[in-house]
Amino acid sequence: MNPFDYSRPPDWQAAVNSVATDAQAKFLGGGTNLIDLMKMGVETPDRLVDINRLPLAQVEELPGNTGIRIGALVRNSDLAEHPLITARYPVLSEALLSGASPQLRNLATTGGNLLQRTRCYYFYDPAFPMCNKRNPGSGCGALEGYNRIHAILGQSEQCIATHPSDMCVALAMLDAVVRVQGPAGERAIPIANFHRLPGITPNVDTNLQTNELITAVDLPAIPFATRSHYLKVRDRASYAFALVSVAAALELENGMIKSARIALGGVAHKPWRAAKAEQALAGKKVEAAAFSAAADAELAAAKGYQYNSFKIELAKRAIVQALTTVAALP
Amino acid sequence: MANSNILGPARSRVDGPLKVTGYAKYAVEFEIPKCAYAWPVESNIAKGKITAIDIKAAQTSPGVLAVLTHQNASKMADAKGLFEEFAEAHGEDMSQGIRNEQRAPLADDEIHYAGQYVALVVAQTIEQARHAASLVRVSYAPELPILTMEDASKAKKPKKKQDETIQLRKGNVEPALANQNIIRLHETYSTPTETHNPIETSGTIAAWEGDDKLTVWDSTQFVKGVQSILARSYGLKIENVRVICPFVGGAFGCKGALWPHVLLATMAARATRVPVKFHLPRKAMFTGTGHRTPTSQTISLAATSNGKLQAIKHVTGTLTSPVGEFVEVCGARSTGVMYASETIRVEETVYPVNVATPTFMRAPGECPGVYALECALDELSYLLQMDPVELRLMNHAANHPIRDVPFSAKHLKEAYQLGAEKFGWSKRNPQTGQMRDGNLLVGWGMATATYPAHKMSAAAKAILHVDGRATVQCATHDLGTGAYTAFTQISSEQLGVPFEQVTFELGKSDYPFGPVAGGSNSTGTVGTAIHEVAQLLHRALAELAVKDARSPLHGSRPNDIAMVAPGRIALRKNPVTSDSFTDILQRAGRDSITVESELKDPEENEKLAFQSWGAHFCEVKIDSLLPRVQVTRVVSVMNCGRIVNAKTARSQIIGGVVMGIGMALTEETAYDPKTGLPAIANLADYHVPTNADVPPIEVYFVGEPDYAFNPIGARGMGEIGITGIAAAVANAVYHATGKRVRDLPITPDKLI
Ligand SMILES: Cc1cc2nc3c(=O)[nH]c(=O)nc-3n(C[C@H](O)[C@H](O)[C@H](O)COP(=O)(O)OP(=O)(O)OC[C@H]3O[C@@H](n4cnc5c(N)ncnc54)[C@H](O)[C@@H]3O)c2cc1C
Repeated sequence: MNPFDYSRPPDWQAAVNSVATDAQAKFLGGGTNLIDLMKMGVETPDRLVDINRLPLAQVEELPGNTGIRIGALVRNSDLAEHPLITARYPVLSEALLSGASPQLRNLATTGGNLLQRTRCYYFYDPAFPMCNKRNPGSGCGALEGYNRIHAILGQSEQCIATHPSDMCVALAMLDAVVRVQGPAGERAIPIANFHRLPGITPNVDTNLQTNELITAVDLPAIPFATRSHYLKVRDRASYAFALVSVAAALELENGMIKSARIALGGVAHKPWRAAKAEQALAGKKVEAAAFSAAADAELAAAKGYQYNSFKIELAKRAIVQALTTVAALP
Repeated sequence: MANSNILGPARSRVDGPLKVTGYAKYAVEFEIPKCAYAWPVESNIAKGKITAIDIKAAQTSPGVLAVLTHQNASKMADAKGLFEEFAEAHGEDMSQGIRNEQRAPLADDEIHYAGQYVALVVAQTIEQARHAASLVRVSYAPELPILTMEDASKAKKPKKKQDETIQLRKGNVEPALANQNIIRLHETYSTPTETHNPIETSGTIAAWEGDDKLTVWDSTQFVKGVQSILARSYGLKIENVRVICPFVGGAFGCKGALWPHVLLATMAARATRVPVKFHLPRKAMFTGTGHRTPTSQTISLAATSNGKLQAIKHVTGTLTSPVGEFVEVCGARSTGVMYASETIRVEETVYPVNVATPTFMRAPGECPGVYALECALDELSYLLQMDPVELRLMNHAANHPIRDVPFSAKHLKEAYQLGAEKFGWSKRNPQTGQMRDGNLLVGWGMATATYPAHKMSAAAKAILHVDGRATVQCATHDLGTGAYTAFTQISSEQLGVPFEQVTFELGKSDYPFGPVAGGSNSTGTVGTAIHEVAQLLHRALAELAVKDARSPLHGSRPNDIAMVAPGRIALRKNPVTSDSFTDILQRAGRDSITVESELKDPEENEKLAFQSWGAHFCEVKIDSLLPRVQVTRVVSVMNCGRIVNAKTARSQIIGGVVMGIGMALTEETAYDPKTGLPAIANLADYHVPTNADVPPIEVYFVGEPDYAFNPIGARGMGEIGITGIAAAVANAVYHATGKRVRDLPITPDKLI
């Protein structure tokens, strides 16, 4: 861990300013990821700008029934238990509660969760010489390494890391919008454009600028999201990152699927919106065959490596199981 | 049947209040004035040579006191020669402590495995040390490492002690294994590298007084071993080395023998002339304090059609590092004792690889060995269409199969019987894949547990005070097992002093010799020493009494006197003539009386075989679509002689079962196949069971006190709980799914 300065600005303007004038500065949320990475020597900011005192810890309804706004500092545990969330977006509550441990969720913030970095072993420990994400141009250690937890969709030869968040999978399925403040003012980034695929620049995780502060996440009103579910498959019963996860919601009408929303976790460099599966389901009858066909359609392009090929079949099964569960919801 | 006289009272831990209030001081928590902090630099190649180390930036970084490397360590520590001499000394005696690595840290420019310490930075604060460590630049000339058993078996085998094949033999297994007319089985089972991961990471504080006095606070399972090794390493008088360790936050074997960090801490303290604390980061626990070697075990069985075993052959491959000495003996003390087979053969080959050094881990050898054998027995039961319990009863060994002497106080049949009854085994559908709970597949499996009864040497000191209190001391250890409490109970019973009035002290090399807290030996070994010191105490009291005209025992012969009731000695033949401990001391004008037992070799009884036994029964539930195995119920019945404390003993068995569930389902230290660096090196990725993975566990004890083994009647039970449980789980998984996974851990991908 390198020496660094610490400041705790009183408002978001000062916070953005501190980061805008210092390219090596970083915002500090719950610190559950950033401090860990600093100890490992992966992140080496020269200044931590502690945003914990900013007034960004509210969950509120947007005017005119258009949705919900979640402040960037709302803790994962508070968000998971919030009545608006459990009532309208159960999938998000389930996703949050399936992540990490109660202690971590008590600290982790909505903004920090969006920006948590991959758990790829080759990224997380600088003892590994190869990692294009940590050290561009050094190669990908995972490609021919121990790649059991790695990506099967949307990866590149440069990087096969996955995004580890559960929360973000639910947000992707819900078409959330990330609101940010920067030196140039405010902007809104649809979640689909927030995280990136690795391509040839795996060192860039997201389309957020380094001097931009996340202030909130907006969830649009989706009436049928009350019939939604998050399914997480992992190696142990609790406190493990997803091997594969599925966030799903179904809009049903007379036993037919009017529309489906599906996002996958643990399979790609970003929360993976399963557009092909969604298309395959639209207008179909609610039945197992349709679910399987949709899962097959989504995973047709998947590619596995030495240790993670099982994820392709696992993802298909998880999609089928999640849809079956959602369809059976009252 | 379950014999109530084996179960001692369920006492809560005497150190419990200290632990929950934070007052229990662990080794690295001692606050030593002027203490500096060390942080390691580790090799990130697995084999090769260091060509250069640039320490300039680190040396000039704020707060840095020293940067030790192979280029300067010998001069600064002035101990290199001694280390080498020490390294040459062969076959070290366990009672004197052993070093897991013969090579001294920073001895030379050779790299033997990834994670090997190549430098140590010492600074005023831990943050300064950690940052400066990141500034050390090491250049290597890498060589192609050998990382796997497969590669090692192809490579030319170096002539090394590690490479010996260990053999055990009863008759000739081959005729039965070649007989096509009987039932035969031949399968290979493998277990991955597993890492101990106690919550308290290892650590050492070293403080020198001049060049000839050393005090060390070390998280260890063997204070006397650390004392002896440090004295020999630096040529110090043994009494000039003090080792202090009142509490250990878990160990499981990784704190049993001495690791390089202890030597590095003492070298650094000597070089800087200030006390130095080297508390390992979690990551270093994956390379610096050992692990359980991966194993590949091939079991061949032959049996008659009614299930009588004709042959058991157990052939194992394990690994060690180029500088390691430890061997995981997988079959000799389990397959060699378990069943009354006509013929038995056990073989093992140890391959050196460029991976960090393995060591003892809870039931070393027996744990993986019993796993393989007990899975094979289960497979055989299906071939024979015989109930797994019945198959084991059919091959029950009343006598040691190889030595052919009776086992002492063996009650394994009762363990099977009680376990089956409590579990409801008779309701098991013998077919696989037939039992259901809604959508979930249900499987029931069982396995035998076994662990040898070990005894070592110990001595104890007892101080009886005139007010009736007693203090008993031994340089033994409490790894979190409840040893403080058990020894307080044994002292109370043996001395004849109420439990509340006894203080048991341990964890200091100043006390009489206690052996390594390993091999489940402590309760029996130290208990025996307490028994002996109690005899001495009663004798000393008798000698005072017979000389005292006011004592009812005046003029009697001390030999005719013994303790008859708590707090009283009396004539053996006429117990009415008695005197109380406190009266004797009071009348003699003594504040206290102190006695110390002698350290001697333990008495061996060659006419019997001593071994502990047990049976695990377990239930798993599995979603066939998304097949993660959930253990939902375990019943474990153990036969370990007398159980001193029903509560802490139960906790030990539960702990072993939980660790065994981890072994069966989730634990694996995976390495990068190219660099040999551990890919899994933290507690987020190394999956020990969480509460949600742990089912209700019922524990029962059967049998009788084993007084043929020692005067306490206890065979020890810290390790037996983990043996067999992984097999019981794997067998249950097969019963549920019809799929036999022979490669642990059984993660969801292996059941898809
Ligand atoms: C052992 C362990 C297990 C875990 N298991 C899971 C799991 O199963 N599932 C899961 O989803 N997650 C898991 N996590 C990850 C956890 O969810 C994240 O660490 C957490 O959400 C990060 O939030 P934080 O507030 O602590 O972020 P921080 O660590 O404070 O910050 C993370 C990053 O976000 C930046 N940042 C923070 N807030 C803002 C903001 N408002 N604007 C701009 N930038 C910001 C920081 O500069 C930093 O780069 C686990 C973590 C640990 C340590």
